[in-house]
Amino acid sequence: MAFDTTDVLLSILKIVIILSVWLTVAPIMLWVERRGSALIQDRPGPNRVGPFGLFQGLADAVKFLMKEDIVPAQAHKWLYTIAPTFGLLPALTTIAVVPWGRAFHIRELHIGGFTLFEGGRWFNPIVADVSAGILVVFALASLAVYGVTIAGWSSANKYSMFGAIRASAQMISYELALTLAAVSALLVAGSLRLTDVVAQQTTYNFVLFDLIKIPAWNVFSPAMWLAFIIFSVAAFAETNRLPFDFAEAESELVAGYHTEYSSMKFALFFMGEYMSMATMSALVVTLFLGGWDIPWYQEPPTLLGGILSFISFLLKVGVLMFVFVWVRWTIPRLKYDILMRLGWKVFLPLALFNIVLVAAFIAAGWI
Amino acid sequence: MVEFAIFFLFAAIAVIFALVVVLHRNPVVGALSLVASFFALAVMYVLLDAPFLAALQVIVYAGAIMVLFLFVIMLLNLQHVAEPNTRPIQQFLGYTGAAAFGIGLIYFILKYAVFTALPEGPFIADARAIGFRMFEAYIFPFEMVSILLLAAIVGALTLSGRAVGHRASVGTELDKAPGAEAR
Repeated sequence: MAFDTTDVLLSILKIVIILSVWLTVAPIMLWVERRGSALIQDRPGPNRVGPFGLFQGLADAVKFLMKEDIVPAQAHKWLYTIAPTFGLLPALTTIAVVPWGRAFHIRELHIGGFTLFEGGRWFNPIVADVSAGILVVFALASLAVYGVTIAGWSSANKYSMFGAIRASAQMISYELALTLAAVSALLVAGSLRLTDVVAQQTTYNFVLFDLIKIPAWNVFSPAMWLAFIIFSVAAFAETNRLPFDFAEAESELVAGYHTEYSSMKFALFFMGEYMSMATMSALVVTLFLGGWDIPWYQEPPTLLGGILSFISFLLKVGVLMFVFVWVRWTIPRLKYDILMRLGWKVFLPLALFNIVLVAAFIAAGWI
Repeated sequence: MVEFAIFFLFAAIAVIFALVVVLHRNPVVGALSLVASFFALAVMYVLLDAPFLAALQVIVYAGAIMVLFLFVIMLLNLQHVAEPNTRPIQQFLGYTGAAAFGIGLIYFILKYAVFTALPEGPFIADARAIGFRMFEAYIFPFEMVSILLLAAIVGALTLSGRAVGHRASVGTELDKAPGAEAR
């Protein structure tokens, strides 16, 4: 592969764009979470700092920076410090293989005697279009378990240890269901690349009289409904959100694995949780909801098409993030043994059955 | 040039973390260093044009097997027991055995991996190619490995001594104070 300066610069631009969007997810979600929970619980929520409490995120950021950083005396210093990065790493890196816009063509530009983008260039809005795309996602998501486990263990606190053990057992159990449910979407696309998965969903499935066209989003195929449900529920379990939030379990374990963390380290866990929520939403959108595709509109391969598809992607991810918040404040926490039983005895067999089902549908030509 | 630099960087990381695994006294730090070493190995796989294998390495080794190792280490709550002094005969046998093993390893690697030509044909290591191989040429080893895993699961269930249908209580192993003593 020949890289030249333009390729490197475009890659850096892509990284800057997607990272800046993802890093602002945490403050935005903080406001959405608190106002959304207030809405559901019929109370005002933060409304002092800025209009509608919009600057609450800023106030919280200042608070986190100014707070005293308390490290327990018996904590293992190195691991205690490194644990939040394990939580942050999967969230920040998995977004590298998710396509967030339509690939568009950049024309040659002649500015003041310089020729940019000679011969035209295709800008593919995905940071790393590797051939084993979704496997990279699973590989990095499986590292999220370490954040929880090491945080709980290195805190030298029984409650943290309890929270960590339970949370990591839950996360590795639901990883299986997550992966197998995603396989159904990959079977339909016939490729591991997420760009291929999205490209397959830009066509139309059921065309009637040239008027009624159902987009080929995977969520609209009957065989994929089960996979969609399993993947979404497993996404809740993977990000430790209610109804699967045994890692935190505020009413049971003080604060679970991040009991002993204060100020910036806690803020890193906090950010990491919201970012992995965003990443999981992005994955659900890519695998089942058509990725960046706008339904009955053929996005042109130009900058306008690219921007529109990016906005559509962000809108879909935003809707799913709100669903995350909505579910958190609606459904009570599952009991731990029921949670584990659900993961192993219900979701895993269902996900396996779903693979067979989708394969049968493909073989019969119905998908 | 860039590949060379990446290779050396990650080879150094792999070796350094492997040394940490062997030499550090805290088993949890050792387990995490092994994870880092596996990560560096995955980068090696990418450099060798096998991204599928690299992702599998991280998923299976770093993401599943090492998590189980960590569980066991954390739940065992190891106390640091001072080892008795080794006798000279133990040291001699240890060194000579390790040296013999090392020499044999280098010899066989050179003979079968360095001085043997690779098979002809293009190198394709994506999911499709591996899938075809696995279900056509290597179907028998694949099934044997499945039965091996099944045997391991059945063995683990039998050894843990729980009767079928008996609900295990979650907190029994965690009554000891965790982590702080294992230095």
